[in-house]
Amino acid sequence: MTPLLRKARVLFVTKFAEMTEYRAEVIIWMLSGTLSLVMMLVWMAQAAAAPGGQVNGYSPAEFATYFLGTWAMSQLMVVWVAWELDFEVRQGTLSPKLLRPLDPMWQHYAGHLAERVVRFPALLALVALFAWLSGASFTHDPWAYPAALGLALLGFSARFLWEYCLGLLAFWTESSTSFQELVWLVYAALGGMFAPLAFYPQWVQQIAVWTPFPYMLGLPAQLLAGKASLADAGRGALVLLGWLVVFWFVRLAVWRVGLRKYGAVGA
Amino acid sequence: MTRYLRLIRIFTGATLAAQLEYRANFVGAVLASLGQVGVALLGIGVLFGQPGTTTVGGWTFHEALLVTGFFMLTEGVISVFIQPNLSKIAEAVRTGSMDFTLLKPIDAQFNVSTRSLNMLRVTDLLIGVALIGYAASHLSVTPGGVLAAAVLYLSAVVIVYCIWLALSTTAFWFVKTQNASELFSGVFGAARFPVTAFPLPVRAFLTFVVPVAFITTVPAQALTGRLPPALALASPLVAAALFVLTRLFWRRAVASYTSASS
Repeated sequence: MTPLLRKARVLFVTKFAEMTEYRAEVIIWMLSGTLSLVMMLVWMAQAAAAPGGQVNGYSPAEFATYFLGTWAMSQLMVVWVAWELDFEVRQGTLSPKLLRPLDPMWQHYAGHLAERVVRFPALLALVALFAWLSGASFTHDPWAYPAALGLALLGFSARFLWEYCLGLLAFWTESSTSFQELVWLVYAALGGMFAPLAFYPQWVQQIAVWTPFPYMLGLPAQLLAGKASLADAGRGALVLLGWLVVFWFVRLAVWRVGLRKYGAVGA
Repeated sequence: MTRYLRLIRIFTGATLAAQLEYRANFVGAVLASLGQVGVALLGIGVLFGQPGTTTVGGWTFHEALLVTGFFMLTEGVISVFIQPNLSKIAEAVRTGSMDFTLLKPIDAQFNVSTRSLNMLRVTDLLIGVALIGYAASHLSVTPGGVLAAAVLYLSAVVIVYCIWLALSTTAFWFVKTQNASELFSGVFGAARFPVTAFPLPVRAFLTFVVPVAFITTVPAQALTGRLPPALALASPLVAAALFVLTRLFWRRAVASYTSASS
């Protein structure tokens, strides 16, 4: 067990050093993901203009809380591994990595986790600033925060794996990045980036509960807003775990088949 | 002038020939366009889908759809004409190939702004025009309104080009500019909704600080004939002022350029 732990530690420490180099960029990347914030402002204005001061039972402050929650979660879900894989397959920089006695996936995973550590303090500061500006208020239940973070870790890992599969499509097609855009759309829509899931048509909600998406953005945001219980969080975690297993095996399969294809090109 | 028009024709022909080599990429570009229009439509779809909601920021569904159409059209203009050209400035400054551009007997700003196209994203332009047409068919539109909208959209394109050029020109001092344009795209995302759909302070920001309001809301207002004359005048003025400023900024940047080796 110790050699494995040492590997993990070295991997994380080197990736952390690499990511701190990009700290200015990390802030800019954070500010460029604005869809949740745009939707927040529009819904707040809608609620303020509505007759009762609310839409579907949400006041402007409640909209602010929900969308700031999804914004914070989407910041923890950021994954760019597909883009990197696309580059590595095309440029051939994947080859030297294959010689190491370690699946290249773990390097990417460690890099993403390290970036999250760099991102986190800035994220807290920005959420505090936006909450103060918009009047959002988060729950006082201390258990909601670790629960939301746990869901974030599971959700991030699931997203990492499916993006990894999409990135591996670079073995076959030139335009693997455009598949990413379509999958992102489903993730954003069913995750609840446009509105809380309860605002969607009934049939969409019924489909959404079987997908991993609502438990990645909407559910943690509702936990932070004090509108979801820990039991909901547990159920969401189970669904995410199930999907994690599925994505894990899909990733393994795509990786094996793709590698054969890659070898064929080099030979 | 005719020389510059001839150059545009040659540039377009050359990039078209290069891009048609990779036909499979077209499928990817269509998927990406569909993704983008999906995001734009879902945004207003969910808003208007709430029971009792008939207007957003005082705009009916078809009026708001008009704004979405202009948003998609502008996304297309950016990805077909603006981004493929201006994103190369940073690279040219870094590698020193800007030398060749500056030595050519044509205006350097013209050269860097027209040299390449990304024809694959023409689908964005088509989707934008189709959305505008569909929305307009459900509204009463006068020929005068169409004319005004066309003129104001032209100023909108100039505004977008100028902001993007100003951000890219900073490459002469800072090597990386990709992040600055990323940030612009983030703010520009707000243009998918009419500017009145935002709280008052944000509205002011989107009109006066980053003039996003002029890009999609103002042409849509002109098309429906609800545009206050003051705004109709302001848009071309902002465009002209930005054009002069970015032109000066560009010349300043070129003057301070010392090639990559020195």
